[in-house]
Amino acid sequence: MKEQSTAMERFQDMWSKYSTLAILVLILIVFSALAPGSFLSGNNFLRILEQSSITILLAVGEFFAILLAGIDLSVGSVMALTGVVAAQLMVMGIPWPIAVLLGCLVLGGLIGALNGGLINLTGLPPFVITLGTMAIFRGLTYVLSDARAVSGLPPEFSAAVGGQVLGFLAVPILVALAISALLVFFTVKTKPGRNLYAMGGNPQAAWFAGINLKRHTLLAFTISGAAAGLAGMVNVARLGAAEPNAGTGWELFAIAAVIIGGTSFFGGEGVIWKVVIGGLIIGTINNGLNMVGVSAYYQQIAMGALIVLAVTLDRFFGSSSKR
Amino acid sequence: MQPIVEMRGITKRFPGVVALDNINFDVLPGEVHALLGENGAGKSTLMKILSGAYEPTAGTVVIEGVEHDRLTTKQSSEAGISIIYQELSVIEQLSIMETIFVGNLATTKVAGIPVVDHKAMYKRTKELLEQVGLKRDPMTSVRDLSISEKQMVEIARAIAFSAKVIVMDEPTSSLTDEEVNQLFAIIAQLKAEGRSVVYISHKLKEITAMCDRVTVLKDGTAVGTRDVAGVTVDQLVTMMVGRELQGKYNEKHEGHVASTTPILEVKGMTRRDGYVKNAEFTLYEGEILGFSGLVGSGRSELMEVIYGAAPRRDGSVLLHGKPLSIKTPYDAVKAGICMLTEDRRYTGILANFSLRRNFAIGEQIKSSSGGGLIGLIDFARELAIAKEQGVAMQVKMRDIEQNITELSGGNQQKVLLGRQLATDAKVIIFDEPTKGIDVGTKAEFYAIMRRLANEGVGVIVVSSEMPELLAVCDRIIVFAEGKQRAEFPIEEATEENLVRAATHYGNEEENQ
Repeated sequence: MKEQSTAMERFQDMWSKYSTLAILVLILIVFSALAPGSFLSGNNFLRILEQSSITILLAVGEFFAILLAGIDLSVGSVMALTGVVAAQLMVMGIPWPIAVLLGCLVLGGLIGALNGGLINLTGLPPFVITLGTMAIFRGLTYVLSDARAVSGLPPEFSAAVGGQVLGFLAVPILVALAISALLVFFTVKTKPGRNLYAMGGNPQAAWFAGINLKRHTLLAFTISGAAAGLAGMVNVARLGAAEPNAGTGWELFAIAAVIIGGTSFFGGEGVIWKVVIGGLIIGTINNGLNMVGVSAYYQQIAMGALIVLAVTLDRFFGSSSKR
Repeated sequence: MQPIVEMRGITKRFPGVVALDNINFDVLPGEVHALLGENGAGKSTLMKILSGAYEPTAGTVVIEGVEHDRLTTKQSSEAGISIIYQELSVIEQLSIMETIFVGNLATTKVAGIPVVDHKAMYKRTKELLEQVGLKRDPMTSVRDLSISEKQMVEIARAIAFSAKVIVMDEPTSSLTDEEVNQLFAIIAQLKAEGRSVVYISHKLKEITAMCDRVTVLKDGTAVGTRDVAGVTVDQLVTMMVGRELQGKYNEKHEGHVASTTPILEVKGMTRRDGYVKNAEFTLYEGEILGFSGLVGSGRSELMEVIYGAAPRRDGSVLLHGKPLSIKTPYDAVKAGICMLTEDRRYTGILANFSLRRNFAIGEQIKSSSGGGLIGLIDFARELAIAKEQGVAMQVKMRDIEQNITELSGGNQQKVLLGRQLATDAKVIIFDEPTKGIDVGTKAEFYAIMRRLANEGVGVIVVSSEMPELLAVCDRIIVFAEGKQRAEFPIEEATEENLVRAATHYGNEEENQ
């Protein structure tokens, strides 16, 4: 009896640490078996990484909204708006590094801060606020771009951000990994990172412990917005133009990556590196199903099923099952 | 007499811990049986086994002669066992009627289709509320009820489920004296109807006043069961703690050395919501200052506004003569004012954190800057704080990395106090510090408060338990309806004085 319970506990421990990784490995094995020629190759793996980079950038930002038991539905729209603004700045002749800094990173952060500020000001759930701003920013994107793609970008920009280094490594992968690493550091090593976990677990107790809830809400959504801005930058660089309908529905990919990555929807639990793996899982499924020749419609079904499955398994074996 | 409940040889092991070791416990029909023990003694675990929530590792539960090796929660409740937990589990959005009938809706048939019979439930709820003496309409939202009223609703619910044994876990911990009396009357009535009550409490007075038998648990073993009529309070305390208490609970402490150096001065403090009006007091070095009054009188509300947790309209706070600008708890913590809050579960513990993180977060916040947004975590320091405070507070724990929710209430409270002490606070506000905590741990807390005061830390104690205030404080301020009504040096303070000041006060300044 006792033996059994400790074996179960050990399994739960292993599960809560490595389940996301196990799912990724499992999916890789399945697709390798199904399409050994096209799927199982170094080039294709690099392609998966590159294709996942935008999802990962959106997801590691989204993570902070969900960590606070909230959500940020506006990330897809923010990605489009920042891409369009940065592209227009470039077309106006502003050097691309400055255009990207202002149009993507700074504007994304400001938009995120606006989300956070509205949540603080109104006391409404993040779901409601970001549902509203999702539509507002999408509309703003169409207005600014006249619903047309912004093209004619300086080739140096696409070459630098959309290109490769060392002849094989795509820059978007490096951007996604660098931002993820930065956020791992932020969540593990810094006090505001720790405070966000405390707040996500029990905002009242965090408040009485001395954590300024509004400031930290603002911070979490600023990070989410800034990460979405960087996703916008990568997207424009890869396509060579800014599409106003870019990122439509991608907030769902981001949320899925966060959840598949084992982050608790109830707040206070989750880690960045697993969210990165969650993003890779989504990228792998999309790529693998393409390789196997499954239509895009089935890809959505597979993705949805995986979300439900991942959360269900987590419910039975994850850390929350112990309470 | 044939016992209605008989628990035989109950053992419960959790990984690494024996929570209950071969416990025998029985309940006779129509008796009030007290279950007494320190925090972590195993009272709640035993009752969770009775409710079917936990499966015992060994032992059987016999209910009305039927033996259960594996009792389910459904079987338990159908057999007439009803548990009213300390943290009431009512759903705030429901009405009283819905709360009572949830999971057991009365139905009637309309054209052969069963539909909910609101009329019958309304009528039955009215009867039940009359029975427990709650003067409320059945459609009243539970949200609008006080804690004692919610408790009555739970009792009514137990009666509606024709409970034969009602377990009450610390039912008086949030009640005023008057409400306690009301509860006792209901218990007497339940007893007269032939129902049994298992009464879990730390308040020895209540047990001797109202219970028939008492079973004492200590560290997962049963110390013994006695008839209350033949046992003294001192004997119970000895059974419970198994050691002599340092500084007896009801004695006045040795007189402290009076000082005229103020630590904290509060002037004209008024809350924006009006719960506190124009409060003024000074806390001097070396003293423990108590705040008495009924629940809702404004004592805790005053502490919240000083601490920055509630918005203030007016007033100022001076610490060691320097004015402070406290707008949030962050400002207070930075300035050196800490608060041990009244409600451990909702405003105290961080349930998703380990003991290590729970201990360290106070110091981490205090040493951060930029409104808490700037600062790196020093892991070595974090571990050092947790280890030091874990030892200093004598927390019963398995591992510094274990989750705080695995500890008993008293040990959680020790962790929270350790969190405050690690910040080198200049003033610590204790709001109901020993609510739901056993006598032994209480004595430890009192010793710590006295030590802090002697070391020059300002100590404020807010409490509903007058013996507690009389035992630890040097001066007591009485609150009622958001205002200070009286102040007593300890030499003049008696329970009678405090009660009188809290209930009979002048209204002359009311019309300003």
